[in-house]
Amino acid sequence: MSDVRNAEAQAAADRASTYEWGFTSDIEQDFAPKGLSEDTVRFISAKKNEPEWMLEWRLKAYRHWLTMTPPDWAKLNVPPIDYQDAYYYAEPRKKDGPASLDEVDPEILRVYEKLGIPIEEQKVLAGVEGARKVAVDAVFDSVSVATTFRAELERAGVIFRSISEAIREYPDLVKRWLGKVVPMRDNYFATLNCAVFSDGTFVYIPEGVRCPMELSTYFRINAENTGQFERTLIVADKGSHVSYLEGCTAPMRDENQLHAAVVELVALDDAEIKYSTVQNWYPGDAEGRGGIYNFVTKRALCQGKNSKVSWTQVETGSAITWKYPSCVLAGENSVGEFYSVAVTNNRQQADTGTKMIHLGKNTKSTIVSKGISAGRSDNTYRGLVRVAPTAEGARNFTQCDSLLLGSTCGAHTVPYIEVRNPSAQIEHEATTSKISDDQLFYAMSRGLDQEASVALIVNGFAKEVLQQLPMEFAVEAQKLLGISLEGSVG
Amino acid sequence: MTLALPTTRDEDWRWSDLSALPALADAAANGGAVVPRWIGEGPRLLFVDGRYDEAASDPGPVTIGAIDAATDHPLGRLATGAGWTLSLDKDGFGGTIEIVHIAIGGANHVPARIMLAEDATASIVESYIGDGWANRLTRIDLARSARLMRAIRIDQASGFTSLRDEATLAGGASLVTTILGAGEGGTRIDAHIALDGSGAFAEHGGALLARDAQRHDAAIVVRHAAAEGTSRQLWRAVADDKATTSMAARVEVARDAQKTEGEQSLRGLMLKRTATVNLKPELEIFADDVKCAHGATVGELDKRALFYMESRGVTPDRAKALLTHAFIADALDRIGDAPAREAFLADADRWLEARA
Repeated sequence: MSDVRNAEAQAAADRASTYEWGFTSDIEQDFAPKGLSEDTVRFISAKKNEPEWMLEWRLKAYRHWLTMTPPDWAKLNVPPIDYQDAYYYAEPRKKDGPASLDEVDPEILRVYEKLGIPIEEQKVLAGVEGARKVAVDAVFDSVSVATTFRAELERAGVIFRSISEAIREYPDLVKRWLGKVVPMRDNYFATLNCAVFSDGTFVYIPEGVRCPMELSTYFRINAENTGQFERTLIVADKGSHVSYLEGCTAPMRDENQLHAAVVELVALDDAEIKYSTVQNWYPGDAEGRGGIYNFVTKRALCQGKNSKVSWTQVETGSAITWKYPSCVLAGENSVGEFYSVAVTNNRQQADTGTKMIHLGKNTKSTIVSKGISAGRSDNTYRGLVRVAPTAEGARNFTQCDSLLLGSTCGAHTVPYIEVRNPSAQIEHEATTSKISDDQLFYAMSRGLDQEASVALIVNGFAKEVLQQLPMEFAVEAQKLLGISLEGSVG
Repeated sequence: MTLALPTTRDEDWRWSDLSALPALADAAANGGAVVPRWIGEGPRLLFVDGRYDEAASDPGPVTIGAIDAATDHPLGRLATGAGWTLSLDKDGFGGTIEIVHIAIGGANHVPARIMLAEDATASIVESYIGDGWANRLTRIDLARSARLMRAIRIDQASGFTSLRDEATLAGGASLVTTILGAGEGGTRIDAHIALDGSGAFAEHGGALLARDAQRHDAAIVVRHAAAEGTSRQLWRAVADDKATTSMAARVEVARDAQKTEGEQSLRGLMLKRTATVNLKPELEIFADDVKCAHGATVGELDKRALFYMESRGVTPDRAKALLTHAFIADALDRIGDAPAREAFLADADRWLEARA
């Protein structure tokens, strides 16, 4: 009975799981010459008009990268990547026009409109009265095409720039923090990013400021054969607060495209950063053709006392995900949180989780991870909780639950716990289950059809994480969960 | 002898320290006399420095001879040549067989083979004492509904004990392995247990106690290849002084192993702030109708419980020993052979009371 239902449900899921964001746009673009060499690095640096120190930094990273080998410890089957067969820089060609936002190619504006991303300020303002404002940095392939609400943010003292602009305008701030959280030699993909990163977002929240609106970056890969290597740096000075959202999509293509980003967060005394991601890169088709390889290094340094960083991620896209948003809890009483829903369907592979490194006294961390696997996919939670001898009174609570939809997928849990201080209290719980016939029967006996019942149960399964998301994102994430999974259980 | 040993860069050996092994392997036997401590009166085998001591043994159903137990395991594959074999059928010997391994310095490698036919049962108690490096490979095959209980105590005064078990269980077979590490040497415990038949049952666990600069390290894989299997891994890790106790336990559930129930309980207790406990309860699941859960905790003794006991006149060290005893007792309770269980608990208490 349940096998038959499984098969039917999977078929329904396949019909439903169309990727809505897979269109391509015909936009005139400038590319760097194909391939990767010191010249590519110099080309990107020159394109960005970067100071000499930045170029030197990139070249140093590139030379070190050449000596490295890709990591192989994840439960992923990564086909060999030909790093010479891709473009490392693609920029929409600038057209003549008036200054500021209007300078943006209307073709690109249409792309974002189609994606539902408001990069025209008046659009936001024209919305429902009292609606919250969201400032957007729109990154199109290798460049940031617009950042909105700049003036309003500047009145509050908040710096919200593309990282290329920040390198030119605030070199001291950037120089002070770039590569401090994720060192240049951290790992294969982070080092590659150091060499060829193109654009991304820089945020600085000054002392005591509560950022007046949500900040967000929307990443779009458009060009063919192009890798995206964005770099985000957020510094929250003493007593400040910021909530940052990140979204991403890419066209449907048969080839695989590489996305290797680095995100660094720094929270000083009493500061709080909330970082939310809805990752919806193109996952490839049902046969596993195409899709984005998402190799991302995200790390936060809770340097100040009482600082707090909260990562929330909803991972539904990408053919391969390799991503471990982490917190280094150095400040006394600092807090790290990681809330994650990872959904894999068809032939997607995800190896994702977090690292909580407790260094300071009375540091606390919470990890809640919900993995949902369907189709022929593999979904792995991999996490490390490390308590250093100095971390007196550290606390960690970890819960990772997996839900298997169908009998051809895999769910794996690989938690590492390393404790070097006896006053630490570490708790880890994990369960793996499927949607039980009892649950389904109950929901259906109350008048829901099968699809709605499954949606209800999956949403309930992921609820603890979804409720951590800011309102606007929570709605999008819920919709996304539905689309990725609709009916894939029985 | 050159040893090709894995390093900490190898994921399965990330918490291991095998650096002492080459020196131990090259060291000459010190010839010191160690007296075996027997628990029961049944069949017994004594191995001194890896060689079977016929005069001191009463092998019962166990035979001695060359064993063909090929493995890829980096330590297990060193154990070649002569070893012991227990092959029993349904009506074979049903009592407890005791094996004592005395290491007298240097390295000794012994393979072993246990084959239980349909419905056969056996109970084996092994003790490792002395010093030097004792390395063992044990190949276990349990036919339908066969039952094997193993209790192993590692009680070397120094040196290193490395055990590699490779077991396959047919339908309805049951394997219960309980290990106590209460010696002063280093330890590496490796096991791969495959539940190949439906309804098989495996339990693997124990208590590892470490002090000074000792390192205990366990890496256990239980693979459910058939439906309706049940497995439990119950481990208790205690680390005092500058010791490190590490446990990596994995449950693998293959595509066809529906209705599997897997349970892992890993708990670590640190008695000093310089100690280290590493835990890795890992699940790898490919079937959808399974119940798998794992729990892992690390902490120190409950300060309120200590305070309460002290207020009742128990000395602090004694209170610590009692609470630690309670912490590890449920892992050792699984030993089926009552005299062996008593002896193991007494060994654990001796370890706990050493400083009380």
